[in-house]
Formats: sequence, structure tokens, C-alpha cells
Amino acid sequence: MSKKLLGAAAFGVMMMPGVASASECGEVTITEMNWASSAVITEVAKFIMENGYGCTVQKVPSSTTPSLVSVAETGKPDIVTELWINGAPAYNELQDAGKITTSADVLSDGGLEGWWVPRYMVDANPELATLQGLLDNVDLLGGRFHNCPDGWACKNTNADLARNFGLEEAGFEIFVHGSGETLATSIGAAYENQEPWLGYYWSPDPLMAKYDMVEVDLGVPYNEEVFLCAANAECTAEGVSSWPVGPVKTVVTTDFESREPAIAEFMSNMSYDNATVLDYLAWMDSNKATYEEAAVYFLLNNKELWQSWVSEEANAKLAEFF
Amino acid sequence: MATYDFLFENLGMKEWCDDGGGSGPVSMADLLARKKGGEVETSVWDLPFPSMDAFNESCSNFPKSRELTSGLEDGFLAIKDVLKFILDPVTEPLSWMLDGAMWLAESTPWWIVIPFLLLVTYWVSRSWSIVISVGASILGLAFIDHYLPAVQTLSIVFVCAAICVLLGVPIGIAMSRSNRLQRGVLPVLDMLQTLPTFVYLIPLIFLFSVTESKLYGIAIILYAIVPVIRLTDLGIRMVDKDVLEAAQAFGMTPRQKLYQVQIPLALPNIMAGVNQTIMMSLAMVVIASLVSAPGLGVLVLRGIRNLELGVGLVAGLGIVILAIILDRVTKSALARVNAAQHH
Repeated sequence: MSKKLLGAAAFGVMMMPGVASASECGEVTITEMNWASSAVITEVAKFIMENGYGCTVQKVPSSTTPSLVSVAETGKPDIVTELWINGAPAYNELQDAGKITTSADVLSDGGLEGWWVPRYMVDANPELATLQGLLDNVDLLGGRFHNCPDGWACKNTNADLARNFGLEEAGFEIFVHGSGETLATSIGAAYENQEPWLGYYWSPDPLMAKYDMVEVDLGVPYNEEVFLCAANAECTAEGVSSWPVGPVKTVVTTDFESREPAIAEFMSNMSYDNATVLDYLAWMDSNKATYEEAAVYFLLNNKELWQSWVSEEANAKLAEFF
Repeated sequence: MATYDFLFENLGMKEWCDDGGGSGPVSMADLLARKKGGEVETSVWDLPFPSMDAFNESCSNFPKSRELTSGLEDGFLAIKDVLKFILDPVTEPLSWMLDGAMWLAESTPWWIVIPFLLLVTYWVSRSWSIVISVGASILGLAFIDHYLPAVQTLSIVFVCAAICVLLGVPIGIAMSRSNRLQRGVLPVLDMLQTLPTFVYLIPLIFLFSVTESKLYGIAIILYAIVPVIRLTDLGIRMVDKDVLEAAQAFGMTPRQKLYQVQIPLALPNIMAGVNQTIMMSLAMVVIASLVSAPGLGVLVLRGIRNLELGVGLVAGLGIVILAIILDRVTKSALARVNAAQHH
């Protein structure tokens, strides 16, 4: 008898926070990836969650692989946003194991990866925007292909594709950078001096917002088999392939989805197109602004967009700020 | 309304403050303040420090602190071209040396490189036990397929440490002979030693092309040259005054005193400096892999980036092995110098 009562009391206590969290949002942890576009997206999400839904939000500085390892091992952080899944094999495993749910394409156009040349090069020589143009103009391009640093999946991909497209045979030196920072600096330096540059990069990125670059048309379709093999360090690809448009996702843990359905709903609506991201990145660069200020800039200038993401109740609360 | 409005009003600067229009970025705090709305009575506890940003709140024409950093940046960019014009040709030989050493190490077969290294070890240390332990270490590294990155790292360390010694010993000698020079150089050495190692790399990647090897060469030399300068200076200054007086009495010229008395007596100190310099260039070569220095550092970075624990640990252990080799060899050379002096 007394045991039953105790059980009922314990059950009641256990239910209490559950009831409370249905209307009131609890603690949320969200990743802040170590690149600009993602940091701003995290700030926007944090502002909306805190002021629209009343959550307590904690940002977790991270990057692609460490964030997924953390989710796999500890179930935290609750939300991983701007996850470029092409570079994250762990994503599929976690998805299959049912630990995470994919909420949305946070970048609706996806991530554009590939080989780029500066706009001023293409203006002077339009054929440089094609593969054949590259092969015919080794000297014009400085004879160097800027590859990703060791440890990035794109380093393997570029190495295989550069060989198979005949870049090495044509006389290009494949230069492996030590870090993403020097890869970025090399674009900046080339642009400031209007020098030739050819290499791998991706968009959206602050650099692409600042400098006008043209993606090289490789002239072949995307071939999944070749591409996956090229990206794998253990496998040497034989054919050629273009870069696919990289899906960029927001994922939440399945625990979180059932714990905070309202936030999960908001996350599944949050999606930016490339132009919007490049716009706030360019603004951020020209104003030397912080991520927070860029988030405010976005919130002030794209009201209709983000209002379509959030619930009516949250909208009413957020309206007080605008 | 912000806390320091009264200050600018009382100074009669209100007009100057407002004529800028103040269309700068809206901060998150501004946005959040909109909801609270109107006047919020701030207590003394919340008083913000009168910093540049706090003044900017009250006076939109007052510069924010980020304008200080962008001013520094603009200043550097303005002198960049002149610096580059001078430094680029001067440092070009460093690129050749690094590329040459790397090419030599990579294209020479292992069965020549390893015996050669052992020969050098014997010549420097004259100790069979050290030759055997060095041999075992190198063969061990080669056996786990880390021969190439290890040799790349070693050749960078050799080139950079050699340049450090060639530049550092004369600078140290010059410092020991002039108190004024010493007073001028010591703060520079202090700065080189305490500046966080990553900070070296920022101005360097502005000045030199990131694809050139001198970029990491300069970073390593700047970082590693300090001990050899300091200990050369110290060693020569510590030479016994009585000995110098005796040399004087024999009628030695200052030059003869330097070469025949001071340097030989300071040699143990100089060698200790060389040992330190070699160890520090090994430390920096790992960090310099961020700016494309090849070798074991690249593997350490890969381990960190992809959380490949095994790769990182093995490469890290490889660096420890190289450090032990370099340390033991230079220490035994030092011991030989010391022993020779006590005869």
C-alpha cells in the first residue's frame, strides 16, 4: 500500500518537469561551428529561442566531426546546425542508429564546392571558366592548384580528380595547404594583387562574399561512384566527376525532438538561401561587425523570412523587439 | 540613452557626436533593450567601464575599440608593400635552402640517409651507445612508415637551426661587447620569446606567399634564435676577468682575446644555447605545419582535425623520438666540449 503511494508520488514528481516543459522551454544546447555563416545562424537561432520560446540556450563551439562524435558519445549538443554532410561520414551512421533526426536543409541551395578562378581572370580570358581552358593555360594560371589541407576530405577528392582530369599532366603543381586559413589567405593575396589563382573553395563563405569568384565548369556530370571513391583516402578513383551540390543540414537528437517539439518544429523551418547568407557575410565584412551584430542585421532586414519560421505565440513575443 | 551621455553633454560635444548620424551596426544589446523600453535606472553596480565602446553608446562619433584594431591592420597593410620589397629578395635564399634540403632528403634513398645520420651522430658525440639508440629510433620510425615525414622534419630543423646559429652567435658576441646594443636587443628577444607562437604567423602570411617555404622558415628562425643569442652573450660576459687580464698582459689584441680566450671559454654556454635552439625549432616546426610546413606536424594536425587519435598519437610520439635524438646528440657534444675544457 505504502509502496504504491510512494510510486504514485514519484511518478507525479517525474511528470512535473515534463508538464512544465510543454509550455515553457528548458535548456537547449546548440553548436556554434567555427566558421562565420554558421556562427551567425546560431546567433539568430539563439535569439529566437530565447526571446520567442523562453529557452535557456547554451552555445557549444565545435566543428563538423567533433560535434558528431560528441552527439554519438554523449547525446549532446541537442542541435547541430550547418552540418555539411558530404564531409561527415558519421552522419549516416547516427541517422541509421536513430540517434539524430534531420530537421531541414539549413542552406536551401546547398553548399557549392568546386574549383574556382577569380572573376578578373575570366573577364580577361573567358575560356578559363572551363576545364579545357585550364589545361590550355597553365602559365596564365601560375601553374599551381591550391588544394585543401591534409585531413580534409576534399584534399583526397582534389588529388584524384586533378590527376584524372589531366591537371598534373598539363603541368600544374598541386599545392597542399597547411590549414584552411592559408588557403583563404592565398585567395585574398591573389585578389589584392590581381594575380592568377586556381583552387578548391566553397560557398557560402565570407571570402566568397568579399571576392567575386567563378566556379570552373568541369564539363562532366556528377558521378556518385567516382566521387565517393575519390573522397575516400583508401580508394583511388579512376574516372572523373563534377562536384555535387553539398546538402547542408540541421540535425537534432531524437531525444531533443521529443523533449522540445516546439523548438524542433522551429528548427525544421529555419532555412536560408545562398543570396541571404552571402548578403549578411558581405555586410559583416564591410562593417567589421561581430557575429552577434550580423545576426541583428539579418533579423532587422529579413523579418518576413524568419517570421515564417516561428510559431504564432513566439511571433507575438518577438514582435515587441521590432 | 546610455550611461555616459552626461559626459558629452557637459563637455559641449553633443553636436559633434550627433552629426555622424550613427548608422553603425546595431548590437544585440541594443535590440534587447528595445523591449525593456524607455529609461532603465542603472544602479552603480551595473556601471559599465568607461571604455571606447561605452563612450560610443553615448556618442556615435566616438570610435569603437574595433576601429583601433582595424587601424592597426590598415597601418600594417600600408607599409606591407615596402617591407615586402625589401624582405622578399633578402629571404629568398631561405626558400632555396629549405627546398634544397627537402629535395635532398626525399630523393636520397633511405640506405644512404640513415647511415649518414649515424655517421654524423658518431662524429658529434663519439659515443657508441648514442649511435645505437639513435639508429634504433630512426629504424623504428621507418618501420612504422613514418620515415618520410620524420626526415622532412629533420631537414627543416637542420636548415633553420644552422641559420639560427650562424646569425645568433655573431649577434650574441656583438651584444656582449656593447652594453648599449645589449640594452636595445634584450627587449626584442623578450618579445620574440613571449609572443604567442601563432601570432608570428599572421603578419608573415600577409608578407610572403603562403606557398613558399620561407614563410615557415622565418617563423621557426624568429622563434628559435633567442636562446643561442642569449647564452652566447651570457657566456662571453661570464668569462673570468682575471683570465682576460692575463691575456691582456700577454699583449693580445682584442680580436685575439675574443677568438683564443673568450669564445673557447664560453663554448659550453654557447653549446647549451645551440641545444635549446634546436629543441625550439623542433617545437615550432610542428606549429608551422599550419602554414604548410611538411613533416610530422601535418600528421599531428590531421589527428586533431579528424579526431584520429591513433594518427595523432603516433605522430606525436615520432616528434618525441626526434626530440630525444636531437637532445642526446647535442648534449653529448656539449659534454665533450666540457670535458675538453677541464684538462
